[in-house]
Amino acid sequence: MRSILCFGDSNTHGQMPGGTPLDRFGPEERWPGVMRRELGENWYVIEEGLSGRTTVYDDPIEGDIKNGRRYLRPCLMSHAPIDLTIIMLGTNDLKRRFQQPPSEVAMGIGCLIHDIKELAPGPIGNIPEILIVAPPPMLDDIKEWESIFSGAQEKSHKLALEFEIIADSLEVHFFDAGSVIKSDPADGFHLSREAHHTLGVVMAREVLAIGWDENV
Amino acid sequence: MPDMRFAPPNPIRIADRSPGMNAVSVRSYNERLVLSLLLQNEGLSRMEIGQRTGLSAQTVSVLVRSMEQEGLVSKGEAQKGRIGPPTIPLSLNPQGAFSVGISLGHHQTDVVLIDFVGTVRFHTTIENPHPDENTNHSDFLTTVQAAVDALPKSNRERIAGIGLALPEDHHELELVPNGTIERYESLREEIESAIGIEVYVQNDITAAAAGESMFGAAKPLTDYLFFYLGARLHNRLVLNHQIFNGQMRRSYDVGLLNLQNRLEGTDNPTAPIWNQVGSWPDLGHAEIEWRKECVDQLNQSLEALSQFVPVTTVVLSSQAPKGICKQVIGELMNLNPNVTALAGDLEISPKAIGAASLPFSSKFTVQ
Repeated sequence: MRSILCFGDSNTHGQMPGGTPLDRFGPEERWPGVMRRELGENWYVIEEGLSGRTTVYDDPIEGDIKNGRRYLRPCLMSHAPIDLTIIMLGTNDLKRRFQQPPSEVAMGIGCLIHDIKELAPGPIGNIPEILIVAPPPMLDDIKEWESIFSGAQEKSHKLALEFEIIADSLEVHFFDAGSVIKSDPADGFHLSREAHHTLGVVMAREVLAIGWDENV
Repeated sequence: MPDMRFAPPNPIRIADRSPGMNAVSVRSYNERLVLSLLLQNEGLSRMEIGQRTGLSAQTVSVLVRSMEQEGLVSKGEAQKGRIGPPTIPLSLNPQGAFSVGISLGHHQTDVVLIDFVGTVRFHTTIENPHPDENTNHSDFLTTVQAAVDALPKSNRERIAGIGLALPEDHHELELVPNGTIERYESLREEIESAIGIEVYVQNDITAAAAGESMFGAAKPLTDYLFFYLGARLHNRLVLNHQIFNGQMRRSYDVGLLNLQNRLEGTDNPTAPIWNQVGSWPDLGHAEIEWRKECVDQLNQSLEALSQFVPVTTVVLSSQAPKGICKQVIGELMNLNPNVTALAGDLEISPKAIGAASLPFSSKFTVQ
């Protein structure tokens, strides 16, 4: 059996558009669940989505627990051995309080990739496959979130390119979720049930396309 | 020491963010490895590419993604495997790259435009200039330009180059009008300055062998003896996909010129034997006699080679119709049952298609 760690934010957690972190889609509805069903019984899918998670920033308001880098290592060690780590982050880094351009958010993703490679939590101490997923761009109208994310919408359109550049240079897999799904208009940056379904199906396809050696 | 992990990203290869071919002219070795593999095999999965190249899954992923964005490679429909997960086959995108090939013969000049999988998109022949004419260059260059213009403007930047196949066999060069050889020498420069596309020059027989190897009957073969049946009979030894292109080249007078000479004493017309398509009319005794002499020479070359290299596979390429080649190799296999012989697959001017394969091998493959 192969295991996949899905490391993300509220959109991996399954938070409903227009809802709070307590409003969560069911295990079969959120994309890691859809992907698990698509992949079948030979795959073990671990969901690690936290609302508000950043790549590498301690959040001065929500706390340092939202810093993806602090949690990634113990998380990987808890679930090792891991065959594939999927990282879908970046949207929270665009909050006004961090004042980061898209290229810096990508550098944060690069930092996480380096951490995974250093820790090598794959089978027999190898580096696992790493798949970077760029979140779909935010919509212009993000309702009451405007004050928190002000200016993030435009930057969010540039994440995919910056993420792909970092994925190419560090030689890891990349997928642009914006090529298959859009953010939901209810709050402009969370994913609808349908979007979760589409993403889960497409992610399963991406996982299989990696090309797994059947003999290992 | 700065921590190199956090230096600005330096991608091994970033596909051009605008549509179209990447401006980078020098491709990485790994990229060439993958493209060479795809030139030889259709529909490989990323896993198969990884296994055959020894590259990691992540490296293959990055390379394939960038070549997909460039339009050099395209994904097929997912295939359900007998065991394991479905695989997504990758192939070269036929429209990913194009190339022009020119073959200068003593009889005529062939110009082709081929796509990335070797399909001929344009073909024309022009007569050689009359000996009294000073030049046919205006006609010649117009024809090369017409091959380029056969592509929509948006695709022209995808032309990898122009291949030029030149005859070097001194027996065949004796057949061309005086002054032609001097013309050949300046052709490369003239084409480059008039058309503005890089020109690759190769010996015509070696070019034909390269064409059969990349797109024709020799595609799956690693070791074989290549014969080209033209005005004379030529050969090249191919070992481990490498065409031996040494200086000591011999050709034999058992080719179409031999047949023409035999026919001249008969009532039969000689013109049809220079046709590239269709079939020959019944040429009677002369043809049978010629074929026997040709087959004997093929067999002698094989016998001579077998003292040194155990090659028993033969590819016979020709400008003559495929039916003629099949008859010849059929008789060869009857004469020598140890031999496996194949007729060339390039039915339109193997030399010109071979010439067109040169820019591809130079730009996209591991040599």
